[in-house]
Amino acid sequence: MMQFTCPHCGPRDQAEFIYERTVDAVVSLDAAPEEAMKSLFTRTNPRGVDDEIWRHTYGCRAWMVITRNRVTNEISATRAVGPEALP
Amino acid sequence: MINFSFDGKTYQAEKGDTLAAALLRNGIGLVGRSFKYHRPRGIMTAGVEEPNALVTIGDGGRTEPNTRATDVFVYEGLVAKSQNRWPNLSFDIGAVLGLAAPALSAGFYYKTFFGSAKRWMFYEYFIRKAAGLGNAPTKTDPDLFSQRAAFCDVLVVGAGPAGLSAALEAAEAGKRVILVEQDNILGASLIRDGQDRDGAWVESTQARIRAAGGRILTRTTASGYWEHDLVTLTQRIAEPGQIPPHGVAQRLWHVRAGQVILATGSIERPMAFAHNDRPGVMLSQAVRTYLNRFGVVPGKRVVIATNNDDAYKTAYALKAAGAEIVAVLDARPAPAGADSGLPVYHNAVPLSTKGARHCLKSVTARVSGLTQSWDADLIAVSGGFTPVVHLHMQAGGTLDWNDAAQAFVPATSRQNVTTIGGAANPEPVFNVVPVSTPKKSFIDFQNDVTLSDVDLAWAEGYRSVEHLKRYTTLGMATDQGKLSNMAALGRLAEKQGVAIPEAGLTTFRPPYTPVTMGLLAGAGAKDAGAHVRRLALYDVHAAKNPIWQPLGYWFRPRAYPVGSETLAQAAMREAKAVRSNVGMTDVSTLAKFEVSGPDAAAFLEIICATTVGKLAVGRGRYTFMLREDGFVFDDGTVWRLDENRYLLTSSTGGADRMATHISYVRQFLCPHLRVSAVNVQEHYAGIAVAGPQAKATLAALIGEEPPRHMSTVLAMISGVPVIILAASYSGERAFEIYVEASHAGPVWAACETEVAKQGGALYGLEAMEFLRIEKGHLVVGGEVDGRMTPHDLALDKMLNKAGGYVGASGLSRPALSEAGRRQLVGLEAIEGNIPEGAMLVTGEGASPQGHVSAAAFRILDGGSIALGQLTDGFARHGEELIATSPTRGQMARVRVVAPHFYDTAGERYRD
Amino acid sequence: MTDVTITMLPAAPLHTLEIWGNPASVAKRFKEAAGFSLPAMGRSDGNDALRLIRYEPTVWLVEGDVSALPGLLADDGALTAIGGSVVRVQLSGKGWRTLLMEGGVFDAENPNFAAGCSAATIIDHVNVRLHVVDDDICHAYVPLSYSEAMIHFWKTAALSLTL
Repeated sequence: MMQFTCPHCGPRDQAEFIYERTVDAVVSLDAAPEEAMKSLFTRTNPRGVDDEIWRHTYGCRAWMVITRNRVTNEISATRAVGPEALP
Repeated sequence: MINFSFDGKTYQAEKGDTLAAALLRNGIGLVGRSFKYHRPRGIMTAGVEEPNALVTIGDGGRTEPNTRATDVFVYEGLVAKSQNRWPNLSFDIGAVLGLAAPALSAGFYYKTFFGSAKRWMFYEYFIRKAAGLGNAPTKTDPDLFSQRAAFCDVLVVGAGPAGLSAALEAAEAGKRVILVEQDNILGASLIRDGQDRDGAWVESTQARIRAAGGRILTRTTASGYWEHDLVTLTQRIAEPGQIPPHGVAQRLWHVRAGQVILATGSIERPMAFAHNDRPGVMLSQAVRTYLNRFGVVPGKRVVIATNNDDAYKTAYALKAAGAEIVAVLDARPAPAGADSGLPVYHNAVPLSTKGARHCLKSVTARVSGLTQSWDADLIAVSGGFTPVVHLHMQAGGTLDWNDAAQAFVPATSRQNVTTIGGAANPEPVFNVVPVSTPKKSFIDFQNDVTLSDVDLAWAEGYRSVEHLKRYTTLGMATDQGKLSNMAALGRLAEKQGVAIPEAGLTTFRPPYTPVTMGLLAGAGAKDAGAHVRRLALYDVHAAKNPIWQPLGYWFRPRAYPVGSETLAQAAMREAKAVRSNVGMTDVSTLAKFEVSGPDAAAFLEIICATTVGKLAVGRGRYTFMLREDGFVFDDGTVWRLDENRYLLTSSTGGADRMATHISYVRQFLCPHLRVSAVNVQEHYAGIAVAGPQAKATLAALIGEEPPRHMSTVLAMISGVPVIILAASYSGERAFEIYVEASHAGPVWAACETEVAKQGGALYGLEAMEFLRIEKGHLVVGGEVDGRMTPHDLALDKMLNKAGGYVGASGLSRPALSEAGRRQLVGLEAIEGNIPEGAMLVTGEGASPQGHVSAAAFRILDGGSIALGQLTDGFARHGEELIATSPTRGQMARVRVVAPHFYDTAGERYRD
Repeated sequence: MTDVTITMLPAAPLHTLEIWGNPASVAKRFKEAAGFSLPAMGRSDGNDALRLIRYEPTVWLVEGDVSALPGLLADDGALTAIGGSVVRVQLSGKGWRTLLMEGGVFDAENPNFAAGCSAATIIDHVNVRLHVVDDDICHAYVPLSYSEAMIHFWKTAALSLTL
């Protein structure tokens, strides 16, 4: 079980998060079909570092991008996604 | 004195005794029979690495097989039984197998019991009886198991001198510290070596750690090291078989540590010589533990065999306790040193032992090339030390080879873990190459693997250590090779002609010591594992004693049988009530989202593939949602409650998925929208009232004209505000009443009274299924199975022509709307009843062209009907097919029809 | 034997308040109307008449009288009733922190998690929201469908807490 540092809640257990997809698999609403299918089904999926979208579903429900090395599980960056949080 | 029993006989133990200590105290040397050859075995170690003295502890549901006698502390009434013997321990018929040992060498099973799977099943029965460890308990474990999280700055594993010092330093530096020790006392080597005989240092260190806020857990094993410095600890609150004082027998800790310090020490290695497995062969440090900690002298005439200095401490301790040291066999060449006062032989290695009546009788050794024997009742062996690197390796670490100690020591790690003490700096030893006959020289005592098995594996071409392990079973079972791996590796390296580090290592996997299944299940061990989600109206339903149906995590009434009705009879009666009068049912579990804000309609037109913006306030419509690739993944209804406020419903089973989807779309695809989408699935309990008399029933309930089909109004029932949606799943005029769940009771009661007045009935999921199949309504997870497009389900006419919704792009791929795809059809039986899940074929032996997704009977007219998917189904109405379910031996002849069996024109919704 | 008591609190109106635009302006309007600030992430503020607990970056849980809020939010946010979906459970006594570690993954034993703090987490596979009332009391907001199971879980766990 990994531990992620939620931009809003601090370090939290992986159990509170749900994995969504990698950043390069986000398909905008106006993407052409070929482009959309390429993003969804034939993305690069590198062995090593990738930008993953996770949601703190069972915590603050916020989305974030976690840069994780899939071999070592080292997390090099986490950034919040979504509307600017209030102070 | 504490009373305990072993194989039915009562004995006395001293307070603090392990079972092994207590058995030795009572002069019991023979404790078990070996796994494969049924050889007599005794106590070899004083720790969790014990390979031989495995016993079954406890009775009934508390039975714990394969417990190491060295790893259980005696309590009053402890019941222990030896294992793998019949009819009894000292006379075991299976021991004849030992005489046949040459036939049972490595790979014996693979070579002997080949053939068909059926034959293997036959062999297996006898193998399982003959070979193996203890028997699994047959009764339910009555105890509770807890799982608890903990956080700390520093986790110290092992409370020997190194671990205690590290924990003290960290605690007094103001850090949150957890110190764990698998033993029930702290001190480890200090206790074994009698260095802290009065316990003063350990006592005061422990007190200081606690005073500084540190948490000390004894009888707790750090058994798994996971990602990001998460360590799982298994804590024995009660001993195996013991009745726990407050119900909880064990606790599994999940500790997230800032830093982990491993002070796990090392495990002494045996030596390989013939008959090195009989009772009376014991590891040197174990002998010292029994002497210094328990005051038990395990032998009177003792031979010591060593390749290091540490074993001399054992010799002195034995001597001081009054035992006679008949020989110290030191593998090292004679040193230029002081006289130890012991009968030391250099260049001396043991060759074999002899025994009588399961006791050690004599030891034979080669001393400087000559063979010599001594009568002895104990041989204390020290073949060097293997650092306990398991957790370091589980954490993803690497090892270095320490040549002086002939041992692997922790090197780097990608996690925040350090190893200190004996585990990092094992004592130097002299490398001994076994000289004895390999046949009876055991290296893995638990799996009965000898040096000759390793040789055989090598001769048969097993080169890698991983293959060796699987072929010989070396390193498996409860001790996981704690004693044997290095010996096997040494032999393999010798065969390969390489140094040990080049021979490779098997993978270290959790748990470090065996973990009981109940502990992993935790609180869930007592029920289904996961919590059941209860309906707000659970008590109301339960009072009617319905047949319950699990639906995801929910339990919902499937039918409410009256008298001796079967499920099918009850469901059909309930469905008929809906078709001919009025019925009511609980629909609370439907997914529900309240969507508010100036851009609510725009947002819903992205989520839903149908138009939403044109809905007038107070109106609703059917809708469905697509995945990004254009396939339908859920459906429901959308209602405009107010200018900027909508209620979206979708399927029960897809509720969590839909909640995530809505949030994803909101944040990633349209973050600019001014909208709030709130999951109100549980906020509202829902009651559906359906049937020709539903309108009259509802009018009586709300005291006004009920809304027309696909309209919504706010009303009051029994003084409670409700939302009424005039929607129908059953095909009849129907209403869904939504009420804040905490006030659902009175509203349900009022509905029930009115329905009863009309002569109607409650209906459950089974009747609901009959009704919707007859009407041809879809169910997510049935007809909507993730492979169907809106075209396949004949929903394409409802698609929002303007596009812009999720999946519009994916759906525009021509193949998704082509003719000839699997399409939704109705099926009518010509002969037989249509089996649900059956495949659709044109004739015997033909390839399936589709399947039956749901089957039922016409409610008022009778006759078997179904919904299904069929290749090019729209164009095949009228065709005859076979619906066959070979696994159930059921089949029916069917005719393909339109997927509507009832009120095709939709007249019954209208007033 | 146990130093924590588990009690179900009576049903009460609960709302979520989500802000999607002009946050600074909404915060100012809120403070002027309510007399206290919108609490920061992981915090609560207010009084018995109106209390806001923040679990999400843009959403607050509101307890009490919300009648003034819709007008104040205008087109910058929305208020939605959710009271039916939540059962409030009071954990009282010194042992509440230890109790929350049972089946949990969140560091409730951290002294920084003190009065006025809030956190959403998983306990025994159930999504639970916590609000520290004071050193001796923590409130848990439990999904209605899981509340029976969670109360049973806590009552059982409380029996062997100190071991």
